[in-house]
Parts: sequence; structure tokens; C-alpha cells
Amino acid sequence: MTNKTLDELSLAQRAELEKELGEAYDFDPKDPMFGLSKDELSGPDMSRRAVLRLMAAGGTLTAMNMLPLAAGFGDVQAASGGVLTCGWSGVGQIVTLDPARIDQVVQFQITSNVLSGLMHINPDLVGEGDLTESWEVNGDGTEYLFTLRKGVTFHNGDKFDADDVLFTYNRSKDSTKSIHSRVLNNVNSVEKVNDLQVRFKLAKPQASFLTKTLERSSGRAMTIVSRNALEKMGTAQFGLTPVGTGPFKIVEHQLGQGVVMEKFENYYDPSRPKLDKVIIKPISDPEPLAAAMESGDIQLIGGNPLAPELIDRFTANPDMVVNEVTGPGFQSIWINPWHEHMKVADFNKPVSELMKEKGFMVRLAFAKAMDRERYLKLAQFGHGTPAFGTINPAMGFYYDKGLEKTSTQTFDVKEAQRLMAEAGYPGGKGFPELRLATTPSGRRESTVVADILRKNLGVKIQVEAKEWSVNVEEFDSMRWDLRRSGSGGDFDPDDAIVDWMQTESKFNGRKRDKSKMPFGYFSDREADDLISQQSTEADPVKRKALVQKANKITSDKVASIFLFHPADILVYHKRVNFPKQSRIPGLVDLDRVTMS
Amino acid sequence: MYQYLIRRTFGALVVMFAVATLVFIMLRLVPGDPIAAMLYDVGDPAAIEEIRRNLGLDRPIYVQYGIWLGNALQGDFGNSIYGSRVEVSRLLLEALPRTLSIASISFVVAIVIAIPAGLIAATRRNTGADYAVTLIAFIGLSMPDFWLAILLIIVFAANLHWLPAIGYVPLSEGFWPWFSHLILPSIAVGTAFSAIVARMIRSSMLEVLNMDYMRVARSKGLSEMTLVWSHAFPNALIPVVTVIGIAFALLMSGAVVVENVFAIKGLGRLLIQGILNRDYPVVQGAILVVSAIFVFSNLLVDVLYSFIDPRIRYGS
Repeated sequence: MTNKTLDELSLAQRAELEKELGEAYDFDPKDPMFGLSKDELSGPDMSRRAVLRLMAAGGTLTAMNMLPLAAGFGDVQAASGGVLTCGWSGVGQIVTLDPARIDQVVQFQITSNVLSGLMHINPDLVGEGDLTESWEVNGDGTEYLFTLRKGVTFHNGDKFDADDVLFTYNRSKDSTKSIHSRVLNNVNSVEKVNDLQVRFKLAKPQASFLTKTLERSSGRAMTIVSRNALEKMGTAQFGLTPVGTGPFKIVEHQLGQGVVMEKFENYYDPSRPKLDKVIIKPISDPEPLAAAMESGDIQLIGGNPLAPELIDRFTANPDMVVNEVTGPGFQSIWINPWHEHMKVADFNKPVSELMKEKGFMVRLAFAKAMDRERYLKLAQFGHGTPAFGTINPAMGFYYDKGLEKTSTQTFDVKEAQRLMAEAGYPGGKGFPELRLATTPSGRRESTVVADILRKNLGVKIQVEAKEWSVNVEEFDSMRWDLRRSGSGGDFDPDDAIVDWMQTESKFNGRKRDKSKMPFGYFSDREADDLISQQSTEADPVKRKALVQKANKITSDKVASIFLFHPADILVYHKRVNFPKQSRIPGLVDLDRVTMS
Repeated sequence: MYQYLIRRTFGALVVMFAVATLVFIMLRLVPGDPIAAMLYDVGDPAAIEEIRRNLGLDRPIYVQYGIWLGNALQGDFGNSIYGSRVEVSRLLLEALPRTLSIASISFVVAIVIAIPAGLIAATRRNTGADYAVTLIAFIGLSMPDFWLAILLIIVFAANLHWLPAIGYVPLSEGFWPWFSHLILPSIAVGTAFSAIVARMIRSSMLEVLNMDYMRVARSKGLSEMTLVWSHAFPNALIPVVTVIGIAFALLMSGAVVVENVFAIKGLGRLLIQGILNRDYPVVQGAILVVSAIFVFSNLLVDVLYSFIDPRIRYGS
């Protein structure tokens, strides 16, 4: 069974969704309180309306957040207890669970069950305190006073208090200790008022402060750690078995073998968790993962995106539940603009001018020859959405569905062949063989890409799979012809177009020889300006216009051959009751899960 | 004998030192920056350089080598550069029992199959039994172990539900949980091993059975059983023990592919992941252990020769 997408909603549901979206964005962008009253912004909880407003103002609201969850999720409340064994897909080991160092989905899917934040947004988009009982905001949205929850203890018995919040903040601000220090750039200070109160002072109002920075699942910088435990255990052991205040405690973690979590009896909510024990096993290969599911060795799959060849197999199995939603990410084929036969030395021209250059003609020919539907069918077994830009459907409000028809990259084989002929390579004759760089896990999909381009344009492409560390080094240095890669976890436009599409983006050839290559894989001044503007634009309607314009430029000028947006798939055995409240795309929250 | 053992041990240490040095240099010469790959998503060059400095990876290779060697001689193999920076010795101590478990059971499976098969094939040469054993041995040798592993999982775990599909349970948690998790991986690994040993036994036995002293023994009226077990088999063992020793060392250094299929973090998988991640301390530590296994396995085999064949004596 599958979840509903935007397209499959009933008329009444769409109307409700649009009404809520409209209200969410209905505020004066200059208002530091985002059109909300002090009471509405303060705790012990925030209404769905307030959360939607903050998420909209912070640019993190997506239509996917608001979709009604499908029936088929376990509404049956079975008895508590039991042991759930999970397989974490596509990973050989969970290298760390220290929030200061985690940077992979496979890691924070686990820490979300073990560690807590100050806030939590539930799937109904109601903001509630996690380790806070209540909070107050000052008149200009720059100070937050949090009253911490009483009686909370860490897994090792230590009491949680304001000192732990301060410790976490100071540790996270230190870039030598935490890789997430930049998340707290807007926080000027954190003061301890008393043992159960802390005051955060911000440099300027920040809509995403409550809904993202302090949120349990997404805000790694302020995921609360135990000072005592860190000092006693040392960072190495803490990274394996972190001590938190979450519903589960880690009792064992052997690298490469798995993580064992047990119910934390003194969790502040006595009704959770329901399970006695959760075992998480990293399983890197798809076939053993499938066999483990079919044999009953594991009952739920988390971790990295599931291999697409397994989805239909599980869907056909009456003992399995398969839940699919559009994932937040994109995948592309990147073209090196400094390759002699695909050279584009300056993108700062209208498309009509660029079309006179042979290098751009080749680039556009490749993009137009890419049959995305065929690619999805052969490489992704029909799962995913064709992409024409970095902005994905999960971003909802910002997604431009019409781009697939208006982009210059729209599939057109005849036009692609004409462009190649005009560039001097009719039928691909005389065009050199290209190398398509990928990682070993991407070899099959890259072979499909190579086959499609060979069939449609007559060009020869050699798939070159190298392990990640080499692949990254070559990408950063621009030592490649074509490269297949992309991004995941992109819920906000900043995650996609800022990270990838600006001249100074962190992935844009940062180690290239700048004397020979003034820019990396793409550079356009107008796109740069639009992207910078959207980042600081508080009016969501204006921001949407800026985002979509920038996205169109990167699409039309073929910043890359945008390939597809992956699907987010959750698979579990029918014995597992996975309630609606726990289905958050990208996460695997197990505190309400039960076993029949 | 003792002098021989001391000389060989010293030689083994020299080999280990040479291997470790070579691996140390090669690792740093191959392409791939582990820190940049680890922090790729962070994209902060300053953070990357900071961590590189903290780990001492910005120092000249000879300085890094000197530090590593000095620590290794004191039993400190350093920490993994990834994630939680766990001690390498801890990772090795966790991986070794898993690999030892698979290797031991594979070894038993292989020997239990190979010895009777090899003997039957040799004593019933050019008969149906011989052809059957030869055919089965070739099939066993030809089947890729990962393919066999997946087949075993599909049949015995996913369909018949007789055995678990993946994972490892330590012996401390019970014999049957430990053993049941090792049956399928051991069969996958042991099959090719048994084929090699069976063929070796057959060849060696055929050579011995044609010797003059065997003809004399036969003409004296000794039973076939006595001929085979008391005279032929011990003399055929020398080359067989050599192969078994090498094969066991290979097993102990980790059947990487099978460990991956069954999601068991043994020595082989630890080593391969270390290489792919460019986790220098892990690779260096694991290589030291693997080279120790090889050289001391060879030493053990040489010592065994002197027990099998009394004519072989080691001395000054």
C-alpha cells in the first residue's frame, strides 16, 4: 500500500491544504513575531496554526508535512512489550551517535530515539516541549526563556538541568568539537537563570529557531548531551553509546554488528516507549537485507534509501507494509564545463546566446536526450519523480511542477540530435568517449544513463566507479567528464540551491585550479543574486518567486542534467504497528511502535 | 628445534614489520582524502584542516610513521579516524572472535568433507565414485562464495526459516544461537576450501599409492584399511598440510564477501571498510594482525611437518 501524494488528494482535502497554506503565509514579513501573539509563540505547546506559520516564515514548511497520513498505518494499539529488530539499509556500520559529529540520516534516525531536544514538532504539526515544560518569547522575538521539564533524568541516572543545556550549547558552538556550530550563529548567548530555566538571546528574530534549531529530530546542535557522561566516558565511547534522556537507552553498540536499545524506564512520559527492546543491524547489501526481512530476522527497514529493486518485491509480499512518499532530494548528471568538447567558459549570457556555442549545444543535447521516464523505469524500477531542477516536490510551496514542460531540458530526442549535429558531431561521430564518474553502488544506474545517451546520441560513455574518498577528491578538483550524484534531506530551498547552484557553493569545485577554471561546474551571476536574496527574504511569496526564477535559470542553462527526485520508502512487517504520529519522512521514531 | 623456532619467530617479526611499513606508505600514496570525504557534507575547509591537524595527518609521512611505529611497539595501534574514534585494538578484538568462529567451523566442515572424499577418489580411481567426487569438487571450486551464500540464505532462511539469515551472536549468549548463525556462512566459505583439499588429498594419495613400498606392503597381505591409514595417508599428508595451512590463514584473514553478505563484522570486513574509508590506523592494525596470522600459520605448518614425518628435523 502507498501513501497519498498531493495529486491523489480528494478535492476537499486539497482545499483544506490550500487554506492552511494560505493562512500560514498570511503575515507581514517585517513582523518579528511573524503575525503571532506572544501567547501563541509561548509554551507549553504551540497550536498547529502557529507551527505552520513559523515553518512558513522559516522556509521549512512543505506540503508533504501537511499531508494527511494514509490509512494502513497501525492504528491498532497492541499490548506493550516485545523486541523489534530493524535492518539499517545500505550501511556497514554506524560510525558515531555523538550529535556533535553525526551527519548522516542513518545516525540521527537512531539518536532521535535516544537523545532529546528542547522542542518537538509532532506529525500533526503541533509544537510541544520535549525537555521543556513551557517557554516565553519577548516582544521582539529575540529572547526565549525556557522552563525545563522537572524530574527528567539521563539514562545513567544523572538529573537533567540547565547546566546540561549550557554545556550542550558551549560544546556545539565550538567548531573543533562540533560540526554543527554554524547552526547556532544567530544565538548570541545562553544564560542559566536557575536550575530549571535558561534564556536564549538571538541576534535577530529567527522563525526556524523553535521548529528547527531546537527541535529534537532536526536540530543536532542543541540535542542535549550529559556533561557527566561525556566526561566519564570520553568522546569515543560516548559516540558509540551516547547517554541521553530519550525513550530508549543504548545498552550495546559494536561497530559493524549493531546497536541494542532498551526501554528507558524513567522516561518522562511513562506511556512511552512501548517496546522493550530494539535491535538495529547495519546490512549493506540489498539481497541479504531482503532475505532477512523475508525470513523474519528483521521486521523493519530503516537507514539509507532502500534499493529500488526491492520495493516491488516487498509490495508483492502480503506480510509486508510498504509506505512510499516523495523524498526530499535530487540526483543529477554533472557536466564538466571545462571539457574541451563541452566547454562553456561563461554562463552569464541569455540562453539564446549560449545556444550559439558548441559546448553549450552539446550540454543541452545531453540534457534533452535524457529520457527520464525510461531512466526511472530501468534504474529505479519506476520509483521516483523526473527532475528538472534542485527544488523537489517535497518542498511543496516552492516546487514548480510546470518546469518539466517549460525547461530547455524537456526530453526531445530529435532536437537533441539536431544540436549534436550542429555542434559538429552528427550521430555522435567524432565525439570523444566520456567517463561517467560514480561510486560502486551507483554503477548500475550510471550504466542506464550511459546506455540512454548512447542510444539517443551515439556518444560513448564509460562508467567509472571509484570509492567515495577518491570520487569526492576528483569531484572537488574538477577531474572528471561527467559525474552522477545529488543530494538528500532537502526540505528547504537553502538545502538545495544554496549548497549546489551558487558559484561559491560548497560542492562547486572548491579544490579546482582556479588559474585554469574560474568557476567549478556552474556559475551564473543572476542565479547567484537570486539565490542570495531568497535566503534572506522573509516574505514567503516573494521568496517563492525568487526560488523558482533561480531554479529555472539553473535548469535552462543546464547547470546539470537533472535526473530525478528519489522516493522515501518505509517497509515493515505487518506485525509491527507503526502509528501515524511516528511517520515522519526521513526518520524512524520508535517510541510509539508496538508489535502484535 | 627451539633454535629453529626462535629464528623463525624473528623472521616472522621482520616480515610483519616490512609488510606494515609497505602498507603504511602505500595507503598514503593512493588517491582519496579521508577527512575531506568524511566531512564532505559539512563543506567547511577550515573544519577539515582543523581535524587533519588534530589527527596529525598534516605532518610529513616519515613523522607519522615514526609516531605510529613507536606506539605500535607498545601495543597502541591508535584510534579510528572515523566517527567515534574507537581504539583500533578494540575493533580488532571485536572482529577476531567472529572471524575465528567462521574460520574454525568452515575448517571443520571442509576437513570432514574433504578427507573421506579425497580418499575415496584416490582409492577408487577411474570409477564412478572418483568421477562423482571430482565433479562435485569442480562445482564447489567454480561456485563464487557470495553466490552460494545468497543461495543458502534464500533457501534455508527466507524460505524454509530453518536458520537465521544474517548476523552473529557471541558464544557467551549460548551455543546454539552462536552456532546457528555460523552454519550458513561456514558452508559458503568451507565449500571451496573442501574442494581444494579433497583434490589435493586425491593427487597426493595417488602419488603415494604408486610407490614401491606400497606395493611391498600390499604384497605382504596388509588390509586395504591398514594400507591407506597407516602407510599411504600419513605420507600423503605433507603437501596437504601445506595447503590446509595456507587456506586456514586465508580463512582467518577474513572471508570478506561472505562476511558482508551475512552482515558479520569480522577481520576481513573491518579491513576492507578501512581501506575504502582510508581509515589509516584501522588498516595498519588489521594488516599487522593478518600478516601475523599468515607467518605464524606457516610456522605452525612447518612444525607440524616434523610430527607427521619423523625424517624431518629442524636444528642448527
